[in-house]
Amino acid sequence: MVDTTSGQTTVASSRRPEQAGTQNTEPLTEEDTASIWLNSFLDKGTVSPLHPPGSSGIRTARGCLGDTDVVVYCTVPELKGGALGHEGCDRIVDAIGIAARSGCPVIGIWHSGGARLDEGIEALDGVGRVFTAMTHASGRIPQISIVLGPAAGGAAYGPALTDLVITAPEARVFVTGPDVITAVTGERVDQNTLGGPDAHSERSGVVHIAATSQADAFHRARRLIDILATPRRPFALPSPTGNDLSRLLPTDSRRAYDVKPLVEGILDHESFEEIQGRWAPNIVVGLGRLAGRSLGVIANNPLRKGGCIDARAAEKAARFVRMCDAFGVPLLVLADVPGYLPGTGQEWDGVVRRGAKLLHAFAESVVPRITLVLRRSYGGAYLAMNAAALGATAVFAWPGAEIEVMGAGAAVRILHRRRIEAVPVPERPALEVKLAKQHELRSTGTRHALELGVVDRVIDPHETRYILAREFAAAPSGRGSHNNIPL
Amino acid sequence: MTSEILAEIPGTIAEVSVREGQMVEAGQQILALESMKMIIPVLAGSAGKVVRLPRSLGTHVQEGDSLATFTTVTH
Repeated sequence: MVDTTSGQTTVASSRRPEQAGTQNTEPLTEEDTASIWLNSFLDKGTVSPLHPPGSSGIRTARGCLGDTDVVVYCTVPELKGGALGHEGCDRIVDAIGIAARSGCPVIGIWHSGGARLDEGIEALDGVGRVFTAMTHASGRIPQISIVLGPAAGGAAYGPALTDLVITAPEARVFVTGPDVITAVTGERVDQNTLGGPDAHSERSGVVHIAATSQADAFHRARRLIDILATPRRPFALPSPTGNDLSRLLPTDSRRAYDVKPLVEGILDHESFEEIQGRWAPNIVVGLGRLAGRSLGVIANNPLRKGGCIDARAAEKAARFVRMCDAFGVPLLVLADVPGYLPGTGQEWDGVVRRGAKLLHAFAESVVPRITLVLRRSYGGAYLAMNAAALGATAVFAWPGAEIEVMGAGAAVRILHRRRIEAVPVPERPALEVKLAKQHELRSTGTRHALELGVVDRVIDPHETRYILAREFAAAPSGRGSHNNIPL
Repeated sequence: MTSEILAEIPGTIAEVSVREGQMVEAGQQILALESMKMIIPVLAGSAGKVVRLPRSLGTHVQEGDSLATFTTVTH
């Protein structure tokens, strides 16, 4: 029962998956929903089951996505609402093990109410073994989760332990559902508000991509796997005289702008796939290609919060850097950062602890990683955006970029505090302006950074794509030997 | 449907670009905040009518303060 007119696979009403929370067994046909999903996700004619069908509630298969061999496991919504029993969990563990031994990506397709209640602790034990298998495979092979319906309790933590989580609009991810919440706390909330794609893409950061439909979820997963599994595609080196990308910057250097068109302008046409775009939007992360080579991009976005780094943004970027490093994906860092966001809210939200994750992630990573300073990079945030001192392969800057500890005005108020306080209050602003101008002549721009060697060279915006592609091609490839803990 | 734009970051209202009662397009600038020594445009998330602009030029706002209220237009 497939609705081909909409391009989406839909379950006919007579065989509609059960709602989370009900676990009645139904007879299973050869064409259960999981099999339909497997067949529509994998390339036609490539689906090869790893286990015989049965009552475990899990379907597993090998198959192809373009050039890439993958392993897929999928919950069966018709069997106890896709709930996980010990037998089904064994199959998932087996599938992850096969993928890890073959070095190929593994994809989980989820519609599950959690652990099977009728099995009690045996089901929980199985779910725990799935968590362990995911953790042992972490950083060795890309693991992607596609959530098409409820993913409750253990079925929530399964996707959360993987590298990337993609949701269809029907996804509902939570540890405890609305009924339990109401019983325990009195709070009333519906499933969508609690754990729908909006909640997890905007509020919690659990979801990396909120797709617009099931077909879109499958499409986005294929794009991500292509970039992660195929590091190089044939592509000509860009022309040294490319587009003037600096025209995407406002003429007033104090004015904020959206960095995403600039990211798209640097990368190959329509290759950019943003991750966690609605969560901590002041930093943009995503995968794409430059001259055919897979890249991870991390860019401050001045349009949101001025592009400052805050606790959330640092944590988001840190996890992304570690994921790319684990899979050998080089990193392009676009810095336009006014600093860390100040305030008690940030300090108490752990901007020190969570910000340290980003410093750690960059300093440990061994993939080629190149920084381009677009307009400004100040203070501690300058370091956090893959500075030379953290081991950047190269640091470039566009003409007019400013790299310093802080803005000239703030710097002179500290450096010349006594001199400023010695003059009458009405005269202080004029003195500050004069001192700031003197300071700018000495300290701002890229001159000092070039002298110290912390910026390699100033590059023309026209030749940006060419120079970056050439530098990435020349850099020896590397791959970190660590897992990808969901920071 | 009514929706509200909240300040993402503490700052000062540096520009007010629309009037109460005005129709705006998605992506149109409503106002701009000065924060982190930058002028940060605040844009309409969808098309609609500006019902309320509670903050005037030069006002300091905290994160989460309401900057504008709209009725959204669905096509």
